[in-house]
Amino acid sequence: MITERLGKELLYFDGGMGTLLQERGLAPGELPEMWNVTHPETIREIHRKYIEAGSDIILTNTFGANALKFHDESSSLEDIVKTAVSHVKAAVREAGADRPVYTALDIGPTGKLLAPMGDLEFETAYEAFREVAKWGEEAGADLIHIETMSDTYELKAAVLAAKENTSLPVFATTIYDERGKLLTGANVPSVIALLEGLRADAIGINCGMGPDQMMPVIEEYVRYSSLPLIVKPNAGLPKQKDGMTYYDISPEVFADQMHRIVSAGACIVGGCCGTTPEHIRAVAELTRDITVTPPQEKDHTIVSSYGQSVFLGCGSKIIGERINPTGKKRFKQALKERDIDYILREGITQQDNGAHILDVNVGLPDIDEASMMKEAVKALQSVVNLPLQIDTVDAGAMEAALRIYNGKAMVNSVSGKKESMDQVFPLIRRYGGVVIGLTLDESGIPSDADGRIRIAEKIIKEAERYGIKKKDIVIDALAMTISSEPDGAKVTLETLRRLRQELGVNTVLGVSNISFGLPARPVINAAFYTMAMMSGLSAGIINPSSEDMMKAWYAYHALMGLDENCEAYIGKYTQTLSSDEKTGGAQHRPGASVTLGECIEKGLKEDASARTRELIKDKEPLDIINEELIPALNHVGEGFEKGTVFLPQLLMSAEAAKSAFAVLKEKMDISGEVREKLGTVILATVKGDIHDIGKNIVKVLLENYSFDVIDLGKDVPPEKIVETALDKDVRLVGLSALMTTTVVSMEETIRQLREKAPLCKVMVGGAVLNQEYADMIGADFYGKDAMQSVHYARKLFS
Amino acid sequence: MKEAVRYLGYGNNTADERTCAMIQESFTELERAADPRSICRIFDMEQDADGTIKAANMKLVSKSLSRNLKGCVRLVLFGATLGIGVDHLIRRSSVTDMSRAVILQACAAALLEEYCDKIQEEAGKELEKEKLYLRPRFSPGYGDFDIHYQEPIMRILDCAKTIGLSMTDGYMMTPTKSVTALIGASPIKERCPAAGCEACSKTDCEYRR
Repeated sequence: MITERLGKELLYFDGGMGTLLQERGLAPGELPEMWNVTHPETIREIHRKYIEAGSDIILTNTFGANALKFHDESSSLEDIVKTAVSHVKAAVREAGADRPVYTALDIGPTGKLLAPMGDLEFETAYEAFREVAKWGEEAGADLIHIETMSDTYELKAAVLAAKENTSLPVFATTIYDERGKLLTGANVPSVIALLEGLRADAIGINCGMGPDQMMPVIEEYVRYSSLPLIVKPNAGLPKQKDGMTYYDISPEVFADQMHRIVSAGACIVGGCCGTTPEHIRAVAELTRDITVTPPQEKDHTIVSSYGQSVFLGCGSKIIGERINPTGKKRFKQALKERDIDYILREGITQQDNGAHILDVNVGLPDIDEASMMKEAVKALQSVVNLPLQIDTVDAGAMEAALRIYNGKAMVNSVSGKKESMDQVFPLIRRYGGVVIGLTLDESGIPSDADGRIRIAEKIIKEAERYGIKKKDIVIDALAMTISSEPDGAKVTLETLRRLRQELGVNTVLGVSNISFGLPARPVINAAFYTMAMMSGLSAGIINPSSEDMMKAWYAYHALMGLDENCEAYIGKYTQTLSSDEKTGGAQHRPGASVTLGECIEKGLKEDASARTRELIKDKEPLDIINEELIPALNHVGEGFEKGTVFLPQLLMSAEAAKSAFAVLKEKMDISGEVREKLGTVILATVKGDIHDIGKNIVKVLLENYSFDVIDLGKDVPPEKIVETALDKDVRLVGLSALMTTTVVSMEETIRQLREKAPLCKVMVGGAVLNQEYADMIGADFYGKDAMQSVHYARKLFS
Repeated sequence: MKEAVRYLGYGNNTADERTCAMIQESFTELERAADPRSICRIFDMEQDADGTIKAANMKLVSKSLSRNLKGCVRLVLFGATLGIGVDHLIRRSSVTDMSRAVILQACAAALLEEYCDKIQEEAGKELEKEKLYLRPRFSPGYGDFDIHYQEPIMRILDCAKTIGLSMTDGYMMTPTKSVTALIGASPIKERCPAAGCEACSKTDCEYRR
């Protein structure tokens, strides 16, 4: 088995395939995988040459052989994959090498971008990789090699598919740019964290650069990874001649540079674009005698997202606690209404205020938590690049979220109860993650530090049985309110200290529990937060919008030498112009004579809400709406139509009105007053279309004019729109499409609506549309701009 | 700046002070979020009597493209993107402030055009050494040049791997702020031929230059 040799001896991969095929006549844009069928001799000959040159692992010619990338009607994908495996096997026989030569099923990217930024669903990508992996195993591959991945999300789909559907070892390598990042923004530690969590067998880097340029990335791998390191560089940087790409580092120079790479710690080496059997031969000859240093086990605790990695254990990290419905009426309402934007704004605000990780809890008794959790995680990952902490007691929701999470998540939580560990640890083993262990078990929460330490030990030991390392566990020392437990704080602080010193494990706390039941809680919370950090708190779950907590955090890091030159502290607390002042935003000061209407017309968001707060002291919310807000909005709308007000101003006014409405809504919620809604409108960007700015503009305006908007988002299948229209009995659907290619889906959506919801009216808009086109596809109304849609909706519902 | 204002629908009007300030800020934010990348590959091209263009193993049939490439002997396949960070930024803004999202969107479009111009100019300098001169770039979707040609162009350039550019089933590019185009090179230097906007037949377009 190859796994027994990994990290113990030097193994050689093969080199480039594509460049060799081009030399042999592969035309630009032609699918190289077709050659498995059309030129079997050529493929075998190339494999054979690599074996003769010294390669121990030969990649099948299947880089682009997946259902999403490979489209050729003349041959089945299964045939292509299985034939490719058989070519390597045949070449091994023909070459008659006196050493084992392994067949590696090569899996490259789909060439598509995954949702939410693209239109490829995670599970669709998974499915495409799954079938290829299965065919490869059936045909007799010895391992699966996933390579040239530039998106951690796609990488995760591929590794999961290979791991869950075959019993083969899985190698995975990614392609970095000169700054040491993937094209989708991930850095080296976040890729390592993800792949170690998914239990890849060997990981590393291929393509993109020549050996020398890869050195900084290789050093990072050696520093952070505990797995055997694969390195497959190109023969230098690409050059061009007559439309052909070529690479020009000679075998000798390549071998020389690879010698350095092997000495630095790589133990599975080969070449990518532009390398030839001669390159591999030269590398093998020059490096054969180097003794491999086995990869060292690292103990970094890393959580990651698609674009960031957060290390626990250096300083104290902030986990934002605000995405949680407990005790928040408005949040509960948002969950019930599936108002995802509300959750997103909570996330963005916390990031702006300094959070490093966001806790995500969307549990409510009467909602489908698994589907809500999935939706929230996906949506959050499209606007916030912070790692997330999946917070749920529902194992189904936990698994759903961990599966589709892009990165290595933090998980909240497991406890010392057997049932909890039996449920949570298998999930961590499968998807990776850093899990919070609560120091409580069947007999409750121990009242002293000894008891809590014992539970921590139990959790760590049980995790080990699943192959989960201590570095992936963070122990919650539990803060108990001092109002009922006088020694609560002291026990927690002692536990923290001993967890770090005796067990060497990272720690976490829900800090504000300490003051439950006391007045002026921020006073206690902030003081306790500082003490906890001082006692070894790796991460505090806090509200980053609390100034007291943030002051404690900045001060602690400055005082303890964890903030170099006090830079962060100075940056935070040196007076600077607020961005509003720069944009000329907050011109109104309390007492100034600007009316709410003027604030709206000028688009002054902060002023509008401040002015509204003043007004509600002695005016009814509905009167404010009818006498100030609506006339101002109308005035701006008219200006827009006359061409004296332009789109950005229209939207600034809309945003200002929105902030005023938010203030009024608070007041009305308390008094039980309701602003009557004019009607409900569904908005969606049609299937295949991912451009949703236009739709979002219409949404903001409709909401201001008192419509309930059900925003189905972008890339929405016709069926979902029809279903929602029927389900919610909606009379108006607004559809947006940007391009001629997606207007087709618009037409289909209208057709289905006509058939199943004939009473529903349809308004359309988007760049390529005009009245004629809208008539052609059977729309009831074409909105040239956002205001037109508002007029149409008002007319329809009046 | 001027282009961004035009994309925002101001036509020949000047933008108000606040919008201008937000445009400035948006450009700064975009510079941070953007990771512009491009790829060019140059092929020989031939043009049949009926105007059909043959290059890079492709046959291109389009009247408007034929006109654009008349007399050219080489064809540059061109792909460029501002990167996924820009999409994230715009999306983030559309949750918190639509006016900012719309301005970012316009600024990103302007930034992308400027970036493409720069890359094209560099490619042009290279070709001038061979006494060849570039035409204005021409993208799938312009005139009668079918959007579906985007697929082979991206395949030949291997855009997903080289610059991280792919497209949806609906031929929409991801990241969204991206361009694919063909640029002809001819031995005759023409006097400032009509480019993108001016060459377009949609004369009633509100964004027309």
